[in-house]
Amino acid sequence: MRLALKLDDRALMSAEALRAPSPLVTTARLDRLESEAVYILRDLTVFARPVLLFSGGKDSAVLLHLALKAFAPQKPAFKLLHVDTGHNFPEVIAYRDACARETGLTLIVRSVEDSIRRGSVQLPSINATRNTAQTVTLREAQQEFEFDALVGGARRDEEKARAKERVFSHRDAFGGWRPRAQRPELWGLFNRHIGAGEHMRVFPLSNWTEADVWAYIVREHIELPSLYYAHHRNVVRRNGLLFPVTELTPASAGDEIGNVSVRFRTVGDVTCTCPVESVAADARQVLAETLSAEVSERGATRMDDRASAAAMERRKVEGYF
Amino acid sequence: MDGFAFPKGVASFETSRQIRFMTAGSVDDGKSTLIGRLLLDAGALMRDQAADLEGDEADLAALTDGLEAERAQGITIDVAYRYFSTPDASFIIADAPGHEQYTRNMVTAASVSDVAVIVIDAAGVSSGALKPQTRRHAAIAALMGLDVIVAVNKMDTFGWSQQRFDEVRSAFDDVAGTLELRDVRYVPVSAKNGDNVVSVGGASWWTGPSLLDLIEKSRAMAASSFGPLRLPIQSMLRDGPRRYYAGRVESGVLRPGDKVVVGWQAHPATIAQVRVGGRGVASAQAGVSVAVELAEERDVARGDVIATPGVSYVRSVVADLCWLDETAWRKGRRYILRQGTLETPALIEAVNFVRVIEDLSERDADGLALNDIGSVRVTTQDAILADLYTDVPGAGAFVLFDPQTHQTCAAGMIREGLT
Repeated sequence: MRLALKLDDRALMSAEALRAPSPLVTTARLDRLESEAVYILRDLTVFARPVLLFSGGKDSAVLLHLALKAFAPQKPAFKLLHVDTGHNFPEVIAYRDACARETGLTLIVRSVEDSIRRGSVQLPSINATRNTAQTVTLREAQQEFEFDALVGGARRDEEKARAKERVFSHRDAFGGWRPRAQRPELWGLFNRHIGAGEHMRVFPLSNWTEADVWAYIVREHIELPSLYYAHHRNVVRRNGLLFPVTELTPASAGDEIGNVSVRFRTVGDVTCTCPVESVAADARQVLAETLSAEVSERGATRMDDRASAAAMERRKVEGYF
Repeated sequence: MDGFAFPKGVASFETSRQIRFMTAGSVDDGKSTLIGRLLLDAGALMRDQAADLEGDEADLAALTDGLEAERAQGITIDVAYRYFSTPDASFIIADAPGHEQYTRNMVTAASVSDVAVIVIDAAGVSSGALKPQTRRHAAIAALMGLDVIVAVNKMDTFGWSQQRFDEVRSAFDDVAGTLELRDVRYVPVSAKNGDNVVSVGGASWWTGPSLLDLIEKSRAMAASSFGPLRLPIQSMLRDGPRRYYAGRVESGVLRPGDKVVVGWQAHPATIAQVRVGGRGVASAQAGVSVAVELAEERDVARGDVIATPGVSYVRSVVADLCWLDETAWRKGRRYILRQGTLETPALIEAVNFVRVIEDLSERDADGLALNDIGSVRVTTQDAILADLYTDVPGAGAFVLFDPQTHQTCAAGMIREGLT
């Protein structure tokens, strides 16, 4: 597993873009997006205690890669934080730990399990999805370490409510997002000012799409957990979704279990993440499938977002990432 | 895996252009429907996203109205971003609301866009004049230096009358002349039926281009490499004993060997090395995040700018200021001005006049409230770049923050440097 920068020609700004004679404008999409993300990450140097949300998923892997590029050859001044639902795919946790080891960045893990024990999270049932409960644990971690900037890999193309989020998104002392009181954000002249007890959520990948992320993974040779590529897995079909059969999500009586070639488009909480049928064996093939996909990333894979179009907005108001 | 079928467009995806455009339109001119149509016909909508559309009279507008409250009210109240791509280019839409009191959102959307699409209802011209809101949108585009594409909408309800199209066009031409808009293109469309939005249709007398063609051909104006070098410094990186200054090139091109000046004191220096992502490169153009090493030992701090010799700094400028905060400007109140990576205390000394936004004419005023655009004199504690917004947009723009409430209060464009 290698995530650290590969300092070869391919890892650079594409050479063609730099040599382009005219017009001398940065329009090649990945170059423009990369430079913008690096600019945003470097704008974080005014914060005393920034932390990078790192789950081991593809977006956070891209974010970490960009952070390494932004401050190379120095290490970024960020710690890594994973809010652990306890419902993880083991491959993802192994990947997460390997990334922390290789980059030498401090990894902080705070678990929903502990919040349940403390009583700050109460779940309707033992196997209920812990995706929304992460909000509480995240807030607790923010307060425990007094993080003043939480950097995440969320993208505006994921969902309607996210489409209105600022790049530097202010959070009040309760960690809540107030969509109507958002600060205008102009020309990349970000407003980084916060009051006592408040913090900032920062989204360097705001303008990236799922396809951009995959194209960048191809170009930069970023390694990912194997779950992202086609593999055979026991699944059950329900409501047009494929449900993985795992210890946490066993098949019910009468379920027809099939062994299907699948890959995951997101790797969140096991209990609410579904794979899609796929034969894409590497990042380039995943990019190809992404460009011809018919169902959105969250629509295809996240049970929790299906409840209503307003589900995400409500969770964000409460402090969800 | 052998035999994996790569669809068309994968090879060109990485290097295809990215175009960022904003959309503006008067309430009911059909802007949200037009965006929904663009997304739908460009194939940017996924099956689950399109599932909200039911029946023949698809509510295309529902696709872009993001927040619950907005859905209830049926108006867009903030800037929303949408993403789609074609085999040739990818697009980011900054969707600014049409509602009158939200000028600030349009200014915000304009600041991150390469070109503005203004939607006009073909019925929206009476006795040769545009609706006040349309004039406002044109004025803001002019103020912010954007090129404009005018989509004359609902042409189907006028039986695709060429005369009607020409009337709207000539009414907008008049306004564009007054405002000195640089570049205006027109296209007759029916957002509802999809004519001339992505593919050409509807009128026999219009053989193209479509709206999407026009957007694809627009010049990307952000981050121009033709101007003088402006590299505002964000932080310093160490590589053993060597120091690199990191920032994004806002204007110009940077090459090793270039003679530059550092900071407002204009200390001369030479670029020894330019790095992108930790590796040396032969040059870097505007828009690229770099780290540079100087041949000479120079004291460079966050907020300083590495620039072409001859750059000028001032502590007082005349600027157009769009007031963005619900709390009006108070005379004598100190604000924090951010230009590039510099933040410095600033004072609005005087409001020269406020612009009547329909035609940018001047009206006497001594205050600035939400959505006002005024010409002001600003003084700063530290010296700032005297670059004019029209010449060097990346340096001639600034914002004001309120040091107590931390709100973003105003967006400024430098029109004149004062000594």
